[in-house]
Amino acid sequence: MTHFETLDYIKNSYSERICQLKEEKKAGKKIVGTLCLFVPDEIIFAAGADRVILCGGKNDTIPIAEQYLPRNTCPLVKSSFGSIVNNGCSGVKSCSHFGLVDMIVAENTCDSKKKMYELMGNYVPTYVIDLPQKPDSSAAVKYFLEELNRFKEVMEKLTGNIITAEGLKKEIVSSNETRRLIHRLYNLRKAEFPPISGLDMIKVMQKQYVLSAEGFKKALQDLIEEAEQAREDPNRADFKASLAHRPRIMISGCPMPGGNTKVPEIIENRGGLIVVEESCTGTRSFWDLVDENKDPMTALAERYIKIPCSCMTPNDRRIDNILELAREFKVDGVVHYTLQFCHGYNIERYKVQQALRNAGIPMLSIETDYSDSDIEQIGLRVDAFMEMLS
Amino acid sequence: MISIGVDSGSATTKAALVIDSQMAAFNIRPTGFDFLSSAGSACEEVLTNAGLDKGDVNGIYATGYGRNSIKFADKAVSEITAHTLGVHHLYPLVNGVIDIGGQDSKIILVSEGKVIEFLMNDKCAAGTGKFLEYTAKALEVPIEELGDLALISKEPASITSMCTVFAESEVISLRARGFKKEDIAAGLTESIARRVAVMARQVGLKQNVAFVGGVAKNKGMKVFLEKELGVSLYVPPEPQITGALGAALYGVNKS
Repeated sequence: MTHFETLDYIKNSYSERICQLKEEKKAGKKIVGTLCLFVPDEIIFAAGADRVILCGGKNDTIPIAEQYLPRNTCPLVKSSFGSIVNNGCSGVKSCSHFGLVDMIVAENTCDSKKKMYELMGNYVPTYVIDLPQKPDSSAAVKYFLEELNRFKEVMEKLTGNIITAEGLKKEIVSSNETRRLIHRLYNLRKAEFPPISGLDMIKVMQKQYVLSAEGFKKALQDLIEEAEQAREDPNRADFKASLAHRPRIMISGCPMPGGNTKVPEIIENRGGLIVVEESCTGTRSFWDLVDENKDPMTALAERYIKIPCSCMTPNDRRIDNILELAREFKVDGVVHYTLQFCHGYNIERYKVQQALRNAGIPMLSIETDYSDSDIEQIGLRVDAFMEMLS
Repeated sequence: MISIGVDSGSATTKAALVIDSQMAAFNIRPTGFDFLSSAGSACEEVLTNAGLDKGDVNGIYATGYGRNSIKFADKAVSEITAHTLGVHHLYPLVNGVIDIGGQDSKIILVSEGKVIEFLMNDKCAAGTGKFLEYTAKALEVPIEELGDLALISKEPASITSMCTVFAESEVISLRARGFKKEDIAAGLTESIARRVAVMARQVGLKQNVAFVGGVAKNKGMKVFLEKELGVSLYVPPEPQITGALGAALYGVNKS
């Protein structure tokens, strides 16, 4: 694949971001930690606070969490919790940003997270936004809007700032710009020879909520410029040859937080080319824009409640979305990626499988955790899947 | 066109030599600690059996758990593809493959020799040859006799534990409660058959299903699986070598 300087920048941007967060804290800015797409950034930013994601992708902090949580809890929940409660005694280091948040804004999605948040509140002030879980019912948007209004008040209290309609509009426009930029980048991946590998794209997306909104937007602009130039590059002949005959893969399923790229690495090392990710670290985060012409709080409620998360029922929007993405990105096969003990996505796998079977698109299911113990077993399945697709 | 397929499995290493798409020789041996040397010996053995020399071979193709460490092979191919090719060669009408090996079990849905879908269990010993090996030990029955013993049972004991270690203790407690050997053997076989049948139904195996892998040598397992699935299964005379045969045929197709 073409080498992009912006990718190096994004991959190495973490320490710079930590300095930025420390400076902000010194200047009196509040830092909010989030763990889910359902928490609207726009409200946090409009209150003058900064945001950083706390979804753990690190395996090392899991044993710490297992002192508190059952072992059969999903690795994302364990890793996040372990990073929060870690006091360094066991010689494991949490990523620095976990120690910098003034408040955690959580959400009622799955049971594991919900119960974990109750414990997390003992360590960091934690506020939970309730979510209606039948998003298409007539009461859902109304209730979610009420919840977001309460959340708005919590942010105002935390920061001492008043959130105005203008302030929210400005943040909505800005976040929409970021969403459009990611769309542009994903559009490039629809080409027969995408300029960016799936693994690189996932590493970019893992930084979406780590970096500041402005920092991430700037990085996207630079990356798009480089990627669009690369399309004209005469040296692309070799690169095109290297991409020929590689099955085009969609990853669909659980989030893939920073620190965890095991499965995409296996897929791309064994001949696949990931062209789209239907996940929280992919399309779910940016696909729909917020309506800029409506009352901002209503527009936010309407947009966010439609995120096709498996905690929702029914979640047919996700199935429709997968089929649509498969067509748009000319996908040869889908790798359904789930984390162990993530019952929502693991059970929803059946519906996805049925829908893909009917559409004639092959699917491979992989259920895994953050450890390296199953690399060979996953490798064998991926090898067989690639042979099947080519 | 002469090619060799080597299936480097967790328990046994298999080699098959194919001349113009017909199998001319095969060899089965324990894998032991060194994957590479057992694969080398298996290849030499099939060459000797076929009265050929290394120089006569057009290509060597590896499959199985150790496929990527067989350095002398020209190419590696997954067990899924290899078993499918091997079984399809023996039974051209085959639509499904059940392979139970030492360390994993696989279900493959096949159409015209091509893999349509597959499912594997390799994260835990339940539903594999290892499960039978351990529990046979607790029963003090040689693994080769477990299947025949299971077939004489009239009232199979109910084995509920899927964990190999706990199933071993379950066997011991059944023994202590005075259950007959054959009834425990049948219970063990039935528990694996059930487990594998669930996977087979998930993938949608229906008719023309072949049963291969080391565990296919267990006659009791064949009978219990047929009962669970409601179909009769094809078991090749040498069910362990379909992977190696398929790898060799993969080579033939490639060139």
